[in-house]
Amino acid sequence: MRLFTPYYLGANAANFSERSGVINIAIEGFIIISALGYALFTIFSGSAIVGLVMAVLISVSFSLLFSLFVIKLKINQIVAGVGFNLLMAGLAKFLIVFLFQSSSNTPRFNSLPNIFFLESIPYLGKVLSDYIILFSFALVFISNFVLFKTKFGLRLRSVGENPEAGESLGIKVRLYKLYGVIICGFLASLGGIWLASNQNSFSDGMIAGRGYIAIAAMIIGKWKPVNIFIACMMFAFFEALEISLQISGTFIPSQIVQMLPYMITLLVLIGFIGKTKPPAADGIPY
Amino acid sequence: MSKKIKANIISISVSVLLTFLITVLVLLIIGKNPAEVFIMMFEDVFGSGYGFGQTLFKATPLIICGCGLAICFHASLFNIGAEGQLNAGAFVTALVAFALSNAGFLIAVPAALICGFIVSGALGLVPAVIKVKKGVSEVITTIMMNFIILASINFFLIDFFAVKSTVHTEKIPDGIMISKMSDLLPGFQGSSLNLTFVFAILMAVATYFFIYKTKTGYKIRSVGFNETASRYMGIKTNRIVMLAFFIGSGLTSFVGMNFIMGYKGYYEFGFSNNLGFTAIAVALLAKNNPIGIIFSALLFGFLDYGGLAVNTLVPKEIMFVIQGIVILTILSVDKLVEKYYLK
Repeated sequence: MRLFTPYYLGANAANFSERSGVINIAIEGFIIISALGYALFTIFSGSAIVGLVMAVLISVSFSLLFSLFVIKLKINQIVAGVGFNLLMAGLAKFLIVFLFQSSSNTPRFNSLPNIFFLESIPYLGKVLSDYIILFSFALVFISNFVLFKTKFGLRLRSVGENPEAGESLGIKVRLYKLYGVIICGFLASLGGIWLASNQNSFSDGMIAGRGYIAIAAMIIGKWKPVNIFIACMMFAFFEALEISLQISGTFIPSQIVQMLPYMITLLVLIGFIGKTKPPAADGIPY
Repeated sequence: MSKKIKANIISISVSVLLTFLITVLVLLIIGKNPAEVFIMMFEDVFGSGYGFGQTLFKATPLIICGCGLAICFHASLFNIGAEGQLNAGAFVTALVAFALSNAGFLIAVPAALICGFIVSGALGLVPAVIKVKKGVSEVITTIMMNFIILASINFFLIDFFAVKSTVHTEKIPDGIMISKMSDLLPGFQGSSLNLTFVFAILMAVATYFFIYKTKTGYKIRSVGFNETASRYMGIKTNRIVMLAFFIGSGLTSFVGMNFIMGYKGYYEFGFSNNLGFTAIAVALLAKNNPIGIIFSALLFGFLDYGGLAVNTLVPKEIMFVIQGIVILTILSVDKLVEKYYLK
């Protein structure tokens, strides 16, 4: 159940961006850079809180840079996304080797503090005592509320569906796109922080495509927070299954389970499992 | 010279310069002497036949893969799936070459390359068909396909084809290996550079003619420029999309020739080391012009081998950072040139 956290944070990150009409395929990069940021600043400051704050700041600054490219300069969002992914993944690879003279991982560091009195609850203690996991669960309601029940959400969605109409009603289109991208950077950073905090170390390749699975979950979830939640739970289940298969070594090859999320996404896209429809002006610069 | 070509030259040179400056800045920030790093890099690359050969060797697959991608990009198809496509093609190339190794060089090598081409091309057709039939963006499908293909290769390789406790296939006999360049030009002694480099150059020239001088190439560019208008002009746009994807993805499989027949003799999981993504940067920097791709691939080959050469001063991983910076600078400089020079 805990494994769904990074997927759901990442998928919501992608969703806020796409709802405003900006395709951000660099979620993977954002998660990597925030996990690394958390790792570095926790190690050098000795405080997980400093790590958390800095990781969020780093991710948000990258999302500002990303919006400079795609909103201000109107560069093709996908190409820019690929560029950002390469840059951020490259930075992570480089910094680990440069700072720790190790090509694989950082030294161990502290995780985020927990809500201690909840930790002793049987079974659920590990879930209930983790702020970020709790936030992810709350996010189901928060995202739904913000996107569909507030003026902000309505405007954000209108910018992603029909920016011309939004503009004519006096909505600052580019500003709302900027909001979308910044929220995206923020949520993605929490995903990265959680992963790093949970493993107590950052290693190259630890994100392992979770950013892409998050995007897949968003598509399967049809850009709706509740459906995305179900999709993420399903993917988390596959991940848990994969881990237990690797441990027990049954006849089902773990590679097959590994590719399941991507297979399912493809099938959904092809239309075997219900129709999906992205925001109408998704990916079109304005 | 038309204004458009001038604009291209300006934006390419400004981007390269800008990337260079940012790299210098990064080196200064981490407390290294940029001059020292660059001198060492130049000495290693141009100081010996070995270094120069290795640079060309690294550039070879980038030229091949970059040309394949350029065909897709000319049709405005953003194929991010090269990493998966080329791995599948190379994997099959190695298997076929090994299976036919008794048939001799002249049969085994072409057969292996053709089979690789077909497999990569067919995998490229999947996103093309989904795009044409269902209107789903090729970007998402190719990303998903990358993971699916790589996991499948891993499965087949480890469970069926790999030499025990390794992640590579059986080695093909020397009889069907491609000659090393050093056999012809002793100056390249010790370097892995092989005749695939010559093949890659010829391929770039052929791709150039295909894109700019043939009817099909014209149609591909037309569809890339304006699909709706092309359809009204009577071009069968769906067919062109599928064709561009098939040929473009198929060509990426030829990188296997460099690694398998020219170097190791077997397919090894992870040999590509993000080649499919680096080639995106190569093609973008060259504005998808195959002749330009030769030069941008050489630049990246230089960075790749040069990075290894200066590894004692700066971790070679800095090259991944530079790749990202190249893409982002070329994108932004392009837009600025378009805005302030072409208007």
